[in-house]
Amino acid sequence: MRPMESSRTEGILQTIRVLDLADERAIYGSKLIADLGADVIRVEPPDGDRLRLRGPFASDNDGEEHSLYYAYYGSNRRSVTIDLGNARERETLRQLALSSDVVIDTGTLASADIDVFDLLEAKPELVIVLVTSFGSSGPWAEYLTSDLVAGALGGFVATTGDVDTQPLKAYGELNFTTTGLYAAIGSLTALRHARETGEGQVVELAVHEAVPSCLEHVLMWGWFHNDLPMAKDDVLARRGSLHWSDMYEVMDASDGSIMITTTPDPMKQLAWLVEMGVEQDLLDPKYGDPEQHRMMVMRMMEVLRDWVAQQNVEDLFFEAQERHFPYGWILSPDRVAQSPQLEARDWWMNYQLGAHIVRGPGAPYLLEEKPIRKESSVSEVGADTREVLEKIGWVER
Amino acid sequence: MTGALKGIRVLDFTHVLAGPYATRILGDLGADVVKVVSEKRPGNTPDSTYYRMWNRNKRSLSLDMSTEHGREIARALAERADIVIENFSPGVLDRWGIGYDVVSKGNTGVIYIQMSGMGDGGPWGDFVSFAATVHALAGLTYLTGVPGREDIGIGNSFNDHQAGLHAVTIMLAAIEYRRTTGKGQRVDLAQYEVGVALTGTALLDYFANGNVQKPVGNRHQHEIVAPHDTYPCLGNDRWVAITVMTEVQWQNFCTAIGRSEWTGDPRFATALARVEHLEELNNRIADWTMKLDAYDVQELLQNAGVPAGVVQTGKDLLQRDPQLSHSGFFRKTIDAGAYNEATPFERIPLQFSRTPVEEYRAPRAVGADNAEILSEWLEMAEQDIQLEEQIGTLR
Repeated sequence: MRPMESSRTEGILQTIRVLDLADERAIYGSKLIADLGADVIRVEPPDGDRLRLRGPFASDNDGEEHSLYYAYYGSNRRSVTIDLGNARERETLRQLALSSDVVIDTGTLASADIDVFDLLEAKPELVIVLVTSFGSSGPWAEYLTSDLVAGALGGFVATTGDVDTQPLKAYGELNFTTTGLYAAIGSLTALRHARETGEGQVVELAVHEAVPSCLEHVLMWGWFHNDLPMAKDDVLARRGSLHWSDMYEVMDASDGSIMITTTPDPMKQLAWLVEMGVEQDLLDPKYGDPEQHRMMVMRMMEVLRDWVAQQNVEDLFFEAQERHFPYGWILSPDRVAQSPQLEARDWWMNYQLGAHIVRGPGAPYLLEEKPIRKESSVSEVGADTREVLEKIGWVER
Repeated sequence: MTGALKGIRVLDFTHVLAGPYATRILGDLGADVVKVVSEKRPGNTPDSTYYRMWNRNKRSLSLDMSTEHGREIARALAERADIVIENFSPGVLDRWGIGYDVVSKGNTGVIYIQMSGMGDGGPWGDFVSFAATVHALAGLTYLTGVPGREDIGIGNSFNDHQAGLHAVTIMLAAIEYRRTTGKGQRVDLAQYEVGVALTGTALLDYFANGNVQKPVGNRHQHEIVAPHDTYPCLGNDRWVAITVMTEVQWQNFCTAIGRSEWTGDPRFATALARVEHLEELNNRIADWTMKLDAYDVQELLQNAGVPAGVVQTGKDLLQRDPQLSHSGFFRKTIDAGAYNEATPFERIPLQFSRTPVEEYRAPRAVGADNAEILSEWLEMAEQDIQLEEQIGTLR
């Protein structure tokens, strides 16, 4: 296979215009679409989006503080300010929606008394994605959420944490990340239908349904525990890094932590342990009985724990990968930042913070045909208001 | 199939979770997903309960890729596909003679997506990985947990789902691009890069400030807010999450739990002060929650305008959650497919006003759709299909 020759400087969605009315619950979706080159107009109140106040922060040489959260999630948009308290500006918002291909909204349209089906009547090919916390109707429809509450009610938090800790959330706001991804998928799916047929539509998405769509084994345990040899009942309580299959766990090496697994082939793992002379009793015939396969795997994890404790973590990781074992070295962000793999794939991109350029995360896919942009920047609050509104004939404010 | 992606043909070589989750979504949305499987590759067949979870709404084609005829048929199918998708290590499809360079010659519009663990090329390009490997290498395991420990991490194969969702997003974007340009393209999606992107703000913090973020339990990573944690309740391992995000919510919280005096306590007067006295605050809240049922705490606080929610298990979602019950989130397939009875499932969380997703079909038996697919995609005559069956290509 030939290596991919592209760099990432532009996008493939230059043909679409998106009105971004997403708060933290769906902003990752409009970010992905913006990073792919769409013309994304983000509407902010006159005093600026409150997400601009989210940390972490970085100061530039002039002492100005920049939100790194916003640099990541709020970049590559044009910024238009709208005062929802002003009837005329609410009408401007309506006009902006009607000049878009796709609207992604977490509640701003309703706050502005704009009915989505009225919008559709005025522009039948429009796609409107409405994101709510729990749904537009039902007993919890009015409930408030946060990423932690969404993860708790959605079943994510119960899976994370150890037997001796409380249930935990993951880093950041990954339940909202999932929601944002579904918002992007809903947008582009309905856009495809609109391009084919001229028919737009409203797409509804609840955070509370996005979260349990990404729980791997959790619902399987509920439905099929009787078919799973490792399942004792219909719930698997959190248990640190030990995977539901019992075959993956983070272990302590002499100088760091490493995720060890006997998959995909426990016999190959056994051969390695024998080669090292550290197999303990694993060659006992009782473990050779196919009926006792699970017992053998559990015992192998114990033997591995003893062996791994004596190993240098870095050496063990590379030796394992050389032998095609999917071990994973537990890396902190500074080490991730130095990943030779990311360097070799020219993954990072530049983020503009005032007059500064800072390195940061690249795109989660590499495209051959039309590369993804390599520079990322945040518009000042309202920087594009005049230019955008002139285009739709609403310059007077 | 009906749905917004009607008419999109997907040739699906995926296995395990990341790839099948992506094509499950495409199938739900109405694409014609042809899943290529083989009796000779156990584990990626309906016998596996895991397979049953991720392979609804796809048709099943069995092909023995170790035979020349099998590879020829795969190539002919790839030339008629809108999307070819796989999540092998780099190089497998090339060895089968259906690499991008070959397929795109006869099918210039093909969107060809490869979801390998580490991406194509680079010093780690040949590394093998499952989600737990990616979580480790991407920093997700390190950053998810409590201070002083790096052995907790996310308790499910979350990054597989994320890779699938990112794959669907980029495929749909590529469809829009092809509409205006006529051009398909190859997409190299590294599951590892998806995982790293999920820690984006921690990496920016490192590059901008040299700050190496550490695990912080349930504290909010982007805002100074407290309380923001899970608290024990009555019952065996029952917990409730409480997140006070604003000062108004703090007032409401204290009033709702009958501790109005806390609002006047200088240790708790501002979010910053509460974060500085977090242990004291959390102990006091836990003293209150542990005498109560988690659902009662949720209802009391939500009625007072405070975001709170029970730490629900899968069983709670399936049996107790009134909101998911109201929205008909859990359903059963309209047919039995490869099984003796309908398969329970969670529907896609997207609800389309014009192209609703209503038909969910169970995973199909290995090769159950061979004749139909070969006839529809390749216009193969019945006797030719029978011949391939006889010589063992279709197994």
